[in-house]
Amino acid sequence: MRKRSDPARLRRPTTGETAISRPKYVGAPVERREDGRLLTGRGRFVDDVAIAGTLHVAFRRSDHAHARILKVDSKAAAACPGVVAIYVAEDIEADFQPIVAQSRMRGYQPTAQPILAKEKARFAGEAIAAVVAESRYLAEDAAALIEVEYEALESLVDPLRSLAEDAPRLHDGTSSNVLVERRFQRGEVEQAFHNPPLAVKERFRFRRKAPAALENRCYLADYRGAADSLTLHTSTQVPGIVRDALVDCLAIPGSRLRVVAPDVGGGFGGKTSLYPEEVLVCVLSRRLERPVKWTSDRLEDLTATSHGFDEVVEAELALDEEGNFLGLRADVIGDVGAYSLFPFTAGIEPVQVASFLPGPYRIDAYQGRVRCVATSKTALGPYRGVGRPAATFVMERLVDMAARRLGQDPKAMRLRNLVQPEDFPYKVASGIVWDRSGFTESLAAACEAIGYESLRGQQEEAREQGRLLGIGMATYAELTGIGSRLSASPGMPFNTGTETAHVCLDSTGGITARFGVTSFGQGLETALSQVVADELGVAIEDVTIVQGDTAAVAHSTGSYASRGAVMGAGAAMLACAALKERLLRVAGLMLNAPPEEVTLAEAGFSAPHSDRRIGFGELAKTYYSRQGAIATDLKNELGELSASRMYDPEWGTTSCGTHIALVEVDRETCQVKVLKYLVAEDCGQLINPRIVEGQNHGGVAQGIGAALLEEVIFDEQGQNLTASFMDYVLPSAAEVPRMEQVHLDLEKPKTLGGIRGMGEGGTIGAPAAIANAVADALAPFDCEVTELPITPERIFRLTRDGRDGSGRGN
Amino acid sequence: MPFERRIAVTVNGVRHERSVEPRLLLSDFLRQMLNLTGTHVGCEQGICGACTVLIDGDSVRSCLTLAVQADNAELRTVEGHGQAQSLSALQRTFKQCHALQCGFCTPGFLATIEDMLNKYPLENENRIRELLSGNLCRCTGYQNIVDAVIAARDDLAQSEAANQQTQQE
Amino acid sequence: MKPAPFDYCAPQSIDEALARLAAAPQAKLLAGGQSLIPMLNFRLLATDLLIDLTGIAELRGILPHGRSVRVGALTTHHEVETSALIRERFPVMGEVMRHVAHLAIRNRGTIGGSLVHADPAAEWPLLAVLLQARLHAVGPSGKRAIDAQDFLLGALTSSLDADEILLRIDFPALPRRTAWAFDEVALRAGDFALCAAAVTLSVGGSRLTGGPRITDARIALAGVADTAVRVPVAERMIRGQRRLTPELAHQAACAVRDAINPNADLHASADYRRHLCHGLVKRLLEEAQRSCAAPAADDGGDGH
Repeated sequence: MRKRSDPARLRRPTTGETAISRPKYVGAPVERREDGRLLTGRGRFVDDVAIAGTLHVAFRRSDHAHARILKVDSKAAAACPGVVAIYVAEDIEADFQPIVAQSRMRGYQPTAQPILAKEKARFAGEAIAAVVAESRYLAEDAAALIEVEYEALESLVDPLRSLAEDAPRLHDGTSSNVLVERRFQRGEVEQAFHNPPLAVKERFRFRRKAPAALENRCYLADYRGAADSLTLHTSTQVPGIVRDALVDCLAIPGSRLRVVAPDVGGGFGGKTSLYPEEVLVCVLSRRLERPVKWTSDRLEDLTATSHGFDEVVEAELALDEEGNFLGLRADVIGDVGAYSLFPFTAGIEPVQVASFLPGPYRIDAYQGRVRCVATSKTALGPYRGVGRPAATFVMERLVDMAARRLGQDPKAMRLRNLVQPEDFPYKVASGIVWDRSGFTESLAAACEAIGYESLRGQQEEAREQGRLLGIGMATYAELTGIGSRLSASPGMPFNTGTETAHVCLDSTGGITARFGVTSFGQGLETALSQVVADELGVAIEDVTIVQGDTAAVAHSTGSYASRGAVMGAGAAMLACAALKERLLRVAGLMLNAPPEEVTLAEAGFSAPHSDRRIGFGELAKTYYSRQGAIATDLKNELGELSASRMYDPEWGTTSCGTHIALVEVDRETCQVKVLKYLVAEDCGQLINPRIVEGQNHGGVAQGIGAALLEEVIFDEQGQNLTASFMDYVLPSAAEVPRMEQVHLDLEKPKTLGGIRGMGEGGTIGAPAAIANAVADALAPFDCEVTELPITPERIFRLTRDGRDGSGRGN
Repeated sequence: MPFERRIAVTVNGVRHERSVEPRLLLSDFLRQMLNLTGTHVGCEQGICGACTVLIDGDSVRSCLTLAVQADNAELRTVEGHGQAQSLSALQRTFKQCHALQCGFCTPGFLATIEDMLNKYPLENENRIRELLSGNLCRCTGYQNIVDAVIAARDDLAQSEAANQQTQQE
Repeated sequence: MKPAPFDYCAPQSIDEALARLAAAPQAKLLAGGQSLIPMLNFRLLATDLLIDLTGIAELRGILPHGRSVRVGALTTHHEVETSALIRERFPVMGEVMRHVAHLAIRNRGTIGGSLVHADPAAEWPLLAVLLQARLHAVGPSGKRAIDAQDFLLGALTSSLDADEILLRIDFPALPRRTAWAFDEVALRAGDFALCAAAVTLSVGGSRLTGGPRITDARIALAGVADTAVRVPVAERMIRGQRRLTPELAHQAACAVRDAINPNADLHASADYRRHLCHGLVKRLLEEAQRSCAAPAADDGGDGH
């Protein structure tokens, strides 16, 4: 049932007569095609793009978290050498239509996000004035001289304070600071909580993170007045969304507005929103008719790129005497910061905490309430795992707490309550539907692979020696490759359910496959090449992938929510099948055979009664360039030897996994060392096991960072105290353990190719597994782990004070 | 330009003479004046290590070095290690081990690891991880980078042993 | 994050550097730059002129002087880490260097730069007070020597005058039979320590003098005060004892914990730092005692 990644066994099963040949690449650990350029410094990130005459932007950003802007004095700055222009909000507001993230959710209060703050600044670090100069150095010299007069307003730092009736409104015209409120209700919740044999209740806190891609955001706009055309080079995960939004915002037709995301240095959700700086460089390039570039520095990245995961969750789980779950209820307060970001809205993170809270468990009665509360902080956006890391942390902690109360083993308690194989498709109380996925199988496989029972024995011995060893597990489920039946963000009113592939055989025999899904490190160029090469029976080197460019396909939204592989590969399969049909007709003509008898394999076409073999090059030249070789009627009918197809996986499909961590807490230093880590997951057909494993390594490392080290901290005035890599602590190689992986080989989902999305599972499972492991390690103390990150300081207080060691409020 | 200095720097074997402002960071000098954009800038504070290059053989943060300080120095950047079609030994192990994803931090890691391989025996994985801890990667979780270092270390030891044998013969 | 403009010069001699400094009172001295340049990048600091000292050959190098060692102010952390002389006479120094940031920083950062920068959590100030270093500086009115404890005035503050240049640091020899131990706790490998501690135990005497005794004990800490500190009250408890029992180690560690008054910051409260201190000091004292007892300690120095 389970297997370690053995490439030989990962190949897709052949499906009888439709398979022309066994897939050569899909399922194999193919070396990446991106690596050659990236390893030799020949990658092309936006900041590497140099256009002669480029101007550079530096911002004067707000010193206050919440203040009226009384006056901006840029006289001294304007006199600095190299300064071309300085702009404040009023100078540019006629140049664009404001961008507002819309939602169908009832009661949603949209917030327009200014490009430059006007009248009021709503977080410390919000851009107030933009300096355009001949170099970044000169722009910064001038920006430092801009004087801003403020009238300080009450900073809304604590979301609970922001909820209060008498709290100042962050946005004029809103009825409260609650931008989104939503309730989920299913089953007899009151009955479930009426004197249940056991109820475990806790208040959890999952603290704010920064996606912190190593490449800072960077935008370069190049407007050409003669053609009224604009090219924006941007480090985004969603070039299609950016293009479509900018067309409305700038009133330039889509045919003349091209958005290019070349090599992108990590995203993790932080590059899925449309940012003010992105719009601004376009506006300024059009105004000045010169290329305009802005490259974020790390300070700006940590203060003005969207943050992730910031919730207070009160949750309660009711159980019967045997440990069966009776009901779950939760109140989620999400600290969404100052703005509802386009396009995913302020609901993207906290609403999904509430909707995914029941997780992979059978829970008939669920009541969830979520409020997304505006505060004077950087806006909350999607971050790897979105909602599910916090949901899984809360649910998995409740399960362990209940297991401890009942004296049950955490594994047994989970196996008893997980959605069982025969229960699929299973509709979660919040409305999500799980298709068949290896919930129980992943748990069993994880326990077997790590040697769970013997680990418990090891723990027993260690405890006798006074060592604090803990074992934690977490089982999670996620929805991936979401099609048109759901929105990628709750209530978001536009289609994210399709993706396009365009595959073309040109007149030289070259094969180019164009995609809307983008790559920012996931190796999609390689994975999609594998799919196309197999579908067309050619070598991987024969396929050229074009992506990250809105000129490639007519519509796309990009890569987020674990959709790239599912949707990109699905679209590739459809497009390749359509192209192949044409190719077989042409080849049939050339081979004097009916198309259905023509075989395509090893980059050549052949037919049973001919020993001739036609390569792609010969076919293409004959078709396009040899006069009279192909009948006019056929050419008129077939046209270009290309095919474009969109793929819509409708509901998408479920990915799941179980993580197990063995940790040790050092009594002296209160530090946590992760001694062992294992992931067992069901992500369906692996396209490239090497890439899948790399995604898990990276996701788990981020999850461990979220669990142990990473936290964006604001002071009472709303100043971000962790605005450098010195204080926002990303894990290094020394803090991340070696990890093992098991890939389940179960019934494939209905998506094309049997592919499930993956890549977010690491950050979903790891915080919960680590939290449970630390809680287990600290079992000798009377305390519970309710807050992440569980830093040495917090462990110190927990072990010293017991139970509620957390000093900091909310 | 108020303060300009003339400097001569040899980068990847090519000598460059330029006038620079003293405040120009070496990272910006390489990227903007020499168009060697393989050196990446991640934090300008010396923490992430993305901008690490080799100066006279030593790994150095180019964001914490002024271009004027590199006057008369020999630099090696990622562009000097190998070509896409003829990768260096370390670049090959990186590819084989899938030790990079987005590739942004990779040039800095390569410089650090070259220096590590020169200066330390890298006796075990803990030591390797400790020495890698000055370079941050947000994608790979480091495991495959560690494996690439182990492979490179073993390759190096093997080729040194082979060299010695040839010399003895 | 780009530095504001400044002028630059790279004098080739100390006299030339002093002259430059005298002519430009707002100038800053550039050594390895691993702390100064980040501050310039953040524009936390601006200067008219950077005087780059790295070209002055006489500021570099590690030389024996009798049984003590003289380290030039511009000697890099990595040079100290790999010096055979240091390994022989002050193995603790070599070990501590492995904890200073990261290789790329150690390749460039210098002992003098670090001491003048005087970060309360840095390793060099800790070593300087532990080893009772004497710092030699030169200014317009001539040369002077400053004891480490007088040199380190507070957080990012040293007693070096604005017109002075630090020349070298002298480390007097340790007693012949000295064991040492060092460790630090940081959130992430290579980061500034939340708490760092180093101890030395020197043993003297023989059966003729009534058996060996601990003749000298030193406990130095970083990260728990405005600057690196020694804890005489705890050292006195140990000095003169026949051996350091676990009980005594505990008592000394408690004395350390009670004597310090750490600052709280983002990542560690004062109480947590006290707790760290106690644990670290106790463990390090026990470690050092174990090396004392081991035969290798008898020929001096090699405690780890």
